[in-house]
Amino acid sequence: MKHPPYHLRTNKAVDRFLLMEAIRCLGRPNDLTRYTYYGFGGPYLEDFRLLHENFPEMPLVSIEQDAQTYKRQAFHKPCGHIQLKHLDFKSFLARYDSADKKSIFWLDYLALEYSQLEDFMSLLGKVAAGSVIKITLRAEPSDYLQKEKEEEFRTRFSAVLPSSSLALPRDSEKFAALLRDMLQISAEQALPSATGFVFQPISSFYYKDGDGIFTLTGIVCQRAKLKRVRGLFSNWSFANLNWARPMRIDVPFLSTKERLHLQKHLPCKRDAGRRLLRVLRYRIDDDRRRAVAKMKQYADFYRYYPHFVRAIP
Amino acid sequence: MAKTTPIQYEPVDASPVKSFFVSMLTRDIKLEEAILDLLDNCVDGILRSKKRAAGKKPYRGYKAEIEFKKNSFMISDKCGGIPWSLHDYAFRMGRAGDRPSDKPGMVGVYGIGMKRAIFKMGRACLISTKNGEHEYDVHITPKWIDDEEEWKIPVKASKKSMQEDGTTIVVGALYPGIADRFSEDARAFKAELERMVATHYAFIIDKGFEVKINGSIVKPRPTRLIFSEKPRIQPFIFKTRTDGVEIFLAVGFTRPIPSADEIADAQEETRYSSIDAGWTVICNDRAVLYCDRTELTGWGEAGIPRYHTQFIAISGVVEFKADDASKLPTTTTKRGIDASSRLYLQVKNKMREGMRIFTDYTNKWKGRAEESKRQIEAGTPLSFEEIKTKAGDLRFTVTKTSIPKGEQYKPPLPLPKKLESRKRRISFVKDVDEVKSVAEYLFEDEDTDPSVVGERCFDLILREARK
Repeated sequence: MKHPPYHLRTNKAVDRFLLMEAIRCLGRPNDLTRYTYYGFGGPYLEDFRLLHENFPEMPLVSIEQDAQTYKRQAFHKPCGHIQLKHLDFKSFLARYDSADKKSIFWLDYLALEYSQLEDFMSLLGKVAAGSVIKITLRAEPSDYLQKEKEEEFRTRFSAVLPSSSLALPRDSEKFAALLRDMLQISAEQALPSATGFVFQPISSFYYKDGDGIFTLTGIVCQRAKLKRVRGLFSNWSFANLNWARPMRIDVPFLSTKERLHLQKHLPCKRDAGRRLLRVLRYRIDDDRRRAVAKMKQYADFYRYYPHFVRAIP
Repeated sequence: MAKTTPIQYEPVDASPVKSFFVSMLTRDIKLEEAILDLLDNCVDGILRSKKRAAGKKPYRGYKAEIEFKKNSFMISDKCGGIPWSLHDYAFRMGRAGDRPSDKPGMVGVYGIGMKRAIFKMGRACLISTKNGEHEYDVHITPKWIDDEEEWKIPVKASKKSMQEDGTTIVVGALYPGIADRFSEDARAFKAELERMVATHYAFIIDKGFEVKINGSIVKPRPTRLIFSEKPRIQPFIFKTRTDGVEIFLAVGFTRPIPSADEIADAQEETRYSSIDAGWTVICNDRAVLYCDRTELTGWGEAGIPRYHTQFIAISGVVEFKADDASKLPTTTTKRGIDASSRLYLQVKNKMREGMRIFTDYTNKWKGRAEESKRQIEAGTPLSFEEIKTKAGDLRFTVTKTSIPKGEQYKPPLPLPKKLESRKRRISFVKDVDEVKSVAEYLFEDEDTDPSVVGERCFDLILREARK
């Protein structure tokens, strides 16, 4: 029951906002009431709070196996209609029947285990067409620096590894790309073309709020309707519909004053990093290239950047 | 009563129907296995050629490359090509009785592998081969497949010249289901095919053969058994030669035996996507069975327990080698064991005998996994070939009573000291939240190991009871 301070994780907060946007692409507000959201909300149910604010009509179900966290969730419930379930995800899956009702799942894992991919595969085969599944996994290449650990990784995940000759990447971006490949293979195994269904990716990101995290969101749909489904996301700037490289979220720490100042110049379509750097007149990193990259990150994600303020309860 | 004329019966037509070969025979085999059959042909090509190097890497320099995409499949090798002298046999459906005998070590016996693999995938195929001065193309077209009368396939001299002796097979006009697997499911298909090649061809790849699938070289995944001198954690080995078949069998540990927690966890969640425990059977360098844990390899029969996670550390390899491949205990798919083969049943007795030593060890050390782990981790994992070399230093005993007769090495695995009679084991299962609550109460750390929590509870109550 050791929880990182989810509510203070800037990049994860951005990721949550991006999920809201992806959901918004699914259809008109009325259409969205047909979805039920299932998630592992953690003690503060942050994602649930956000979902309720954005889609107040959407039924919400939290799945939590730890008794203490479950009690804490009951304490933090941001709205009345969240159904809190005290059980592990495997037991939930065993009982879950979509009854052709669309769902949005967020399998928000802290670690990286084969059993999680197994849950993902089994969920893919159970959800109704049109359902969205987001899976978040630990993506920390430093976990496998030792030879034995690397070998163990290979043995554990052999059935979903893209290549037997692959050396485990040492940098986070490539490691995230490996996890994306493993999820693609898992999805193809769970929904082979013969089933007529496919897991169409919508977006994928990797970020670090301490440890590396990879997250992939996709939608289960009929192959025949693939074009229409892809069309729903074609205007969304963060869409990643072709299993392309995961996008990095690495928003810089900026003061409120800095943010308000920069915001006056946003959105900015071209050369955003350099432009914002000029606006700021100083670098927030010793290295100029990194400083430009950080400004670019801010320009990309400023609309989703959370405001953390000190409050006296 | 009028006399009836007897009905004249015509002879019935029992000639083969082409569609039987094209659409029925192909149902017996998985797509991945059909492709492995094509790889087998490449290896048979190497065995036909005389240029094989001596030593530990006899297959070095020989390569096969597989490429698949939405509309075609290709396998090309530099493994010697199909000799023109075999043209009457290589393309026949089935093996003709007058076919000249094969070179030692080949596995193709039934004469169906290549054709079945082609018909499994598509309706058009071009086979180009170069063997010495002969360089020719065989073109199978959809029209030929549909024509029930035509059994001859035209052969033409190759238009393009190949640099080295070898064969290239290109299959086109793919069936929709196959095209989907090569495109929509391409990543999963490649991963599965690569895994099968890495396991079934581990021994040949280890001996120098190179296989590429869509550009990436396949790395072998051989079974390695732990070998240590002190304490003696070594595999059981049996070797013999009978009726033209050479047999070498080794079974042992690949890793430490699992702890009670690991066994319990495994029941709840899958930690491994595939398990390397069980028996691998190799026939002429090719694995026909990989990590089998069923009765087929002796698990759960004749006093051997059924496979269970507690035996996750036990693995065995048995190798059959024969110049005449028909003596090997394989099925027509070459990826299965002929379970009724007399030879195999005899060898299976030995497999069980060896396996029993390690299931017994596991049972005896149950509950002392930590101690056993130290013994096993002190050893070195050796590949099958390394074990064969090591076997030269071991003292084998001749087995006279068993069939087949042979020589065996039975390792004296360490035994645990007897549990002192004054001690009793207690184990029980409690709800995880309850365990956490007690752990928090006793140690202020809910993640304390459950066995420590249980022991502390007992000690406290004991103190109370003795007050």
